[in-house]
Amino acid sequence: MANLKELRGRIKSVASIAQITGAMEMVASMKLRKVQAKAQNFHPYTAEIRHMIERLAGHVSGDADLPLFRQREVKTVGFFVITSDRGLCGSYNSNLLALLDKQIKAAQGEGKQLKFWVYGRKGYAWLTRRGFAVERFFVEPPLDKADFAAAKLVGDELVNSFDEGEVDQVRMIYTEFASVARFVPTDEQFLPITSIAVGEESDNKYELDFLLEPDAETVFNRLMPRYLETVAFDAMLQSLASEHASRRMAMKGATDAAGRMSKDLKKVYNRARQETITKELLDIVGGANAVG
Amino acid sequence: MAELHLRIVTPDRTIVDRKVAEVSFHGVDGGYGVLPNHAPMMTAISDAGVVRIKEMDGSASELFASDGFAQMQHNVLTLVCQAGEFAEDIDMERVKAKEAAAREKLAGLDRLSAEFIKAEASLKKALAREMLVRRRSGTGGLS
Repeated sequence: MANLKELRGRIKSVASIAQITGAMEMVASMKLRKVQAKAQNFHPYTAEIRHMIERLAGHVSGDADLPLFRQREVKTVGFFVITSDRGLCGSYNSNLLALLDKQIKAAQGEGKQLKFWVYGRKGYAWLTRRGFAVERFFVEPPLDKADFAAAKLVGDELVNSFDEGEVDQVRMIYTEFASVARFVPTDEQFLPITSIAVGEESDNKYELDFLLEPDAETVFNRLMPRYLETVAFDAMLQSLASEHASRRMAMKGATDAAGRMSKDLKKVYNRARQETITKELLDIVGGANAVG
Repeated sequence: MAELHLRIVTPDRTIVDRKVAEVSFHGVDGGYGVLPNHAPMMTAISDAGVVRIKEMDGSASELFASDGFAQMQHNVLTLVCQAGEFAEDIDMERVKAKEAAAREKLAGLDRLSAEFIKAEASLKKALAREMLVRRRSGTGGLS
């Protein structure tokens, strides 16, 4: 029976797909836990850096020379894009790239030059396919294994090109990890720094009376690159967590769908099998009757 | 008596979080010694420094700490560093390899270039680590 054989084959292949997607789901959730642990260990560092910045901000006078805060006319925009290396993670990449597409068109509409720094093969492929030159494609270490040193590398590079005037503004396009089921593609300004208020604009929550050596401006300017590294690393970790969570969801969906499909197929198979048996029985009975 | 609480935080983890008797470290503009009830302060730590901790029981330990900041507030001293390693955790072979690489790089560079400064910092870090290990195993180094 060709039909029965065909069904058997399909049931088998669906079951093995379910097995693979189930395994991928498990791997993704394990990786997600790892990333979350990493983020947790990293958190005290960010918190301390932030705390120091807040304490210092009130001490830095408004007219101090803070190169990383300097706004200038934006002729060239740098994008730091974080995508995944691999697919099969639901709409994670396509959502992010849709946002990037929008931002690129907006920037081009205003006649700005574009530069790209990319993490993740998907983003790189997307950009090169559209004919954009990528300034730097970070491959080593892969995002999966990225530690703080990797974020330092990224931060250094972005700060350098801002310092040297190659770009007048740097934006980060990454995926915010809002919850295990919600990932928001986000566009955030990285440079010049606007998220911190200095001088009189800052709200002085902290006592201003402490020893400061050598002086506020020096310490502040030393602190800023460190701060930017934490921002970059945070974006990387959030993107990575989103990727794994998104993959886990997609794989769970696939496993469930495969389960349903295999159930339906089995039903059809059993019905077909029963039908054949009935038909054969009828044949035998009919034959016996004819003989008798 | 007031107690001094020391926290050393790096991007990977919090290395130290306990009460200590005394801490000394290198700031960008000189050495610092911190005892309980030290005035509130904030400063930058040198690129390649050694932090010396005197524990509550009188014993001493040393660790390498680089590129960070120190802040003192309410008897809590927080060192926020890029890297921090206790002498016993330092991998001497890696340090040697780094030192050699840095020396090699330095030889062929212009003294004023950014790479020169980077390589120099890397060499300083390797040397500081090396000295720490040497001192611990009692094979030379300064006091």
